[in-house]
Amino acid sequence: MRRTIIAIAVVLVVGAVGTAAVSQKPWLPRPDVVQPIPFSHRIHAGLHHIPCQYCHEYARRSPTSGVPPVQRCIGCHGTLAQKGALTPVTRPWTDHKGAPLEIRWNRVYTLPDFVRFAHFPHIHAGIACQSCHGPVETMDRVVPVYEINMGFCLNCHAQKRASTDCVTCHY
Amino acid sequence: MDQKVSRRSFLKLAAATGAAAAIPGCQPAARHLVPYVVPDENVTPGLPTFYATTCAECPAGCGMIARNREGRVIKLEGNPLDPIGGGSLCARGQAALQGLYNPDRLAAPRTRSGDGRSSPISWQSAMAQLISQLKAAASAGKDRVLFFGPPQGPTLRKITEAWLKAYNSQRLVAYEPISYQAITEAAQRCFGRSDKPVYQLDAAEVLVSFGADFLETWLSPVEYTRQYASFRAPRKTDGKTTMGFAVYVGPRLNLTAANCDQWLSVRPGTEGAVAMAVLNAVVEQGLVRPESGLDPNVLRQLTANFGPDAIAQQAGISAEAIRKIAKQLAQAKSAVALAGADDEVGQMAAMLLNAATGNLGVTMKFIDAPELTRVSTWSEVTDAVKAMREGAIDVLFVSQVNPVFTIPPEVGVAEALKRVKFVVWAGGVPDETAEFAHLLLPIDHPLEAWDDVSPRPGVMRLRQPVTRRVFDSRALGDLLLDCIAQSSPTPSAAPWKNSLEALKATWRDVQNQVAPAVPFDQFWTKALSEGGVYVEPKVASVTVNVSTLGEPPKPQVLADDSFALTCFPHIFLYDGRGADKPWLQEIPEPVSQIVWDNWLEIHPETAKRLDIDEGRVVEVVTKSGRIALAAHLSSRIHPQAVAIPIGQGHTAYGRYAVGRGANPWQALPAGRFVTAAQLRPTQERYQLVSPLSGGDMMGRPIVETISLEQLERGIVPQEEEPYPEPYNMFEPYQYPKHQWGMTIDLNACTGCSACVAACYAENNIPFVGKEGVAHSRIMSWIRIERYWPEEGKGPLMLKMPMLCQQCGQAPCEPVCPVFAAYHTEEGLNGQIYNRCIGTRYCSNNCPYKVRRFNWFAPSWPHPLQLQLNPDVTVRGAGVMEKCTFCIQRIRFAEMQDLTGQQRLTDGAIVPACAQSCPAKAITFGDIKDENSAMMRRRKEHALRNYRALDQYLNTQPAIVYLRSIYRERGEG
Repeated sequence: MRRTIIAIAVVLVVGAVGTAAVSQKPWLPRPDVVQPIPFSHRIHAGLHHIPCQYCHEYARRSPTSGVPPVQRCIGCHGTLAQKGALTPVTRPWTDHKGAPLEIRWNRVYTLPDFVRFAHFPHIHAGIACQSCHGPVETMDRVVPVYEINMGFCLNCHAQKRASTDCVTCHY
Repeated sequence: MDQKVSRRSFLKLAAATGAAAAIPGCQPAARHLVPYVVPDENVTPGLPTFYATTCAECPAGCGMIARNREGRVIKLEGNPLDPIGGGSLCARGQAALQGLYNPDRLAAPRTRSGDGRSSPISWQSAMAQLISQLKAAASAGKDRVLFFGPPQGPTLRKITEAWLKAYNSQRLVAYEPISYQAITEAAQRCFGRSDKPVYQLDAAEVLVSFGADFLETWLSPVEYTRQYASFRAPRKTDGKTTMGFAVYVGPRLNLTAANCDQWLSVRPGTEGAVAMAVLNAVVEQGLVRPESGLDPNVLRQLTANFGPDAIAQQAGISAEAIRKIAKQLAQAKSAVALAGADDEVGQMAAMLLNAATGNLGVTMKFIDAPELTRVSTWSEVTDAVKAMREGAIDVLFVSQVNPVFTIPPEVGVAEALKRVKFVVWAGGVPDETAEFAHLLLPIDHPLEAWDDVSPRPGVMRLRQPVTRRVFDSRALGDLLLDCIAQSSPTPSAAPWKNSLEALKATWRDVQNQVAPAVPFDQFWTKALSEGGVYVEPKVASVTVNVSTLGEPPKPQVLADDSFALTCFPHIFLYDGRGADKPWLQEIPEPVSQIVWDNWLEIHPETAKRLDIDEGRVVEVVTKSGRIALAAHLSSRIHPQAVAIPIGQGHTAYGRYAVGRGANPWQALPAGRFVTAAQLRPTQERYQLVSPLSGGDMMGRPIVETISLEQLERGIVPQEEEPYPEPYNMFEPYQYPKHQWGMTIDLNACTGCSACVAACYAENNIPFVGKEGVAHSRIMSWIRIERYWPEEGKGPLMLKMPMLCQQCGQAPCEPVCPVFAAYHTEEGLNGQIYNRCIGTRYCSNNCPYKVRRFNWFAPSWPHPLQLQLNPDVTVRGAGVMEKCTFCIQRIRFAEMQDLTGQQRLTDGAIVPACAQSCPAKAITFGDIKDENSAMMRRRKEHALRNYRALDQYLNTQPAIVYLRSIYRERGEG
């Protein structure tokens, strides 16, 4: 009798935890991500009209769009700031000696390991970044707009007559 | 019974549910994005970077291109600019990665205390210890420091010499366990030269090998495999279809013999005598070419002790066979004779045969340039050991060689090492020699350090770091220069700050010779990006030097009552240095198909007489020692011979090497690979494992062949009546853009298994170990199938690379209940891992048995996982997988074509197997493109086209094989 109860308890607990783990959908974009520094896409991409690929420079030639190196930030915030054009932002990406530090950004967009997405063919096909990432230029903190699942990809692929063959993305 | 839920049970339950919550696949991917602070201009995240370097796995020195992703090397490929490798690599070259990322590599310096246990120390105190010992040795007297290492490139050699000089010594041993001393000695006697010849096999029409395994390990296997493939390619000569004719003389049907027309099974150790007898027959039959300038009388005198009749009897063959070979060699338009690397008599005979038949400078050449790589002679090695034993050495620096494993015990290396005051071992995975070391230093892998190498006269190649350091290691050159800098007050001892500076200094000299007009920086950048300098080597004009030929040799005879034990380097493990790499352990040895072990090969008749059966542990007793290992019965060995592959039997050298088989060097006399042996079967048994069940095709023509005569007359061999009109269950597929296909030339394929290793590396294929292979869980997507033909018919061995045939009417596709196996728009049999639920129906229904099921989640002990290809999904437990034609390369090329970055032309996509193939047997391309190289190859050899099992099953594979060509036995 006790054994049965234990067995049922195990099934229930495993089921509950499993469901909870899956229902969190860890492979989907996360709306609750807070970044280590208060970087605002609205100010950069919106207010100052800096093109996306000025910072995410690999998007047009590599599968990954790339997060800009800290040097890229300092490119403006260091030299321009010295000329008084910009408020000098020194912290938190430099240490007390002024040497640059790495920034550990928190991931907002992620895909499962068995999905092989490449940015560069999409950029060359003229797909706007906003089509998947939403109006980032209006966001202080980037939050996902679309639930990027296979249906989302396929809808667009079907509309644009891009390949909908499974091995286009899964291999 | 008390069945209350105790606190302990509750905790167990809690742990179980915790584990369930962490089901793989539901785990989030990496949560952080950490960009570079300052970007590396050579690195684009997501795209590979390529660096040219030179392979260090054997002395051949093939050029290679390292594919690097985000700072770590993930794949090695042949460098097409390099004339030695010709753009290909062998399995050993491919597996160099697993030496780099080996989990058992020494991670930090260690010191050993008196009780034999070692403990980690810092680099600083390791260097302090080393330098104080070196200084003490230097002040104690001359020549008390010994450097024991492999043959080095010019730069490392000059650094080592400077280092020795700084410590008052000149003792430098450049040790190569399987040395080519016999070749250089024979060249000295025949031509008065001290360098090795290079061979041009594709310039010959007849090839005779007296125990030279040129398709496996002999001299330069990748180069000779490529040349052999073109030697064997069918061609029209004087209106007749012909191809190169090859004979192998040796005791065992190895991979090289299996690819020849004829195998003369001789008693071990008589190959050289047979070669001499052939030379004798050439002279006696008056076949010495007058233009060779050789005096037949000199040769007659030299071969006086090698009359064909007497030698034939000793070797166990007919004198007729010897005379026939002599005729074939001498009467061919061009021919080449090769001999085993350790056989001086054979080498002399082969070189003189080449000279007497007028092939010197045609198929066998000497290069007119100095030999830059020095290899110590065997007596120099034993002298060094003797010095150690006599206590004349205070500091021994042993690096990247394993003398304890590779030198027979009668030389007494182990005892000698104990007499050395301070032994420093510097290398990667600690081996048997490291057990004797007082100080262990981690040294950079050749893929991590600056170096150069001169594999043959006139050839200079560079090595550069192609990846970030995996462990806290140092470059050997830097370490030696550091020693000098820290211990000598005068900077003149070594004029270079580090090994890169020393390397550049060497290359300034190279530039002065090769391109004096070009600025050095420009020259250096070009050499670095191409992997070296490529200058057409000048062929030296050479004649036989009669005065140095010396005394006529005498045949050595083994006693009749004992067996001759012959040991040969394993095609993958070589002298044992490959044993720490799981890919090389898991890929079946092409002829025996045995994995993860070595074995005692014995003829079934002999075995029956001695009451030995398959898997019986047999004690092999020789004058030099005894070893015990499992017997493997094979009728393809001389009845009076037993053979053991070298390479296993490690007692140290990492988790993958230890405790497999036996080390034959423990039973060999010093400097020889053949000896008389007694066999004593024991009561024990040991299971040898092979993924192949037998060698019988069960009446099905899986590997198809065509005889040269049939090819000449245009007859397609038909095994039986073709099946009636094939029935198609489904509508034929339409392929709107491409239909990928492959052509595999079975006549070029030698079965070397380079493709298998390349596939493991490219596609993140896990290794499963001996147990796994025994349970039929081997994961290789491509394998070399080996079958034995009917007695006395067809080629000596049948082999074919078997991979997913990408069927047009695939049996796997309709049985998948979840559409994980389906037909893609480009003609591939797709396998979608995230759909697969693991029913294994597809594998059941696959007639080629190329689908692999993940019974367990794969695992790569750290840091082996750093080698994984980020472009290919790592498959989890419960998922079916198979060859994809390297879909990641196809997709990348297609995406680049879409964006106009690089057009998808023929040859833009090369799968890993085709890239690595030394024989260039595999061509990939678009079936819809009639002019693709792949389709042209099919059309050019239309008579040899066949699709595996298609005539029975109507599977319509996308792979077309070209039938292997053979000569009827006795013909030629």
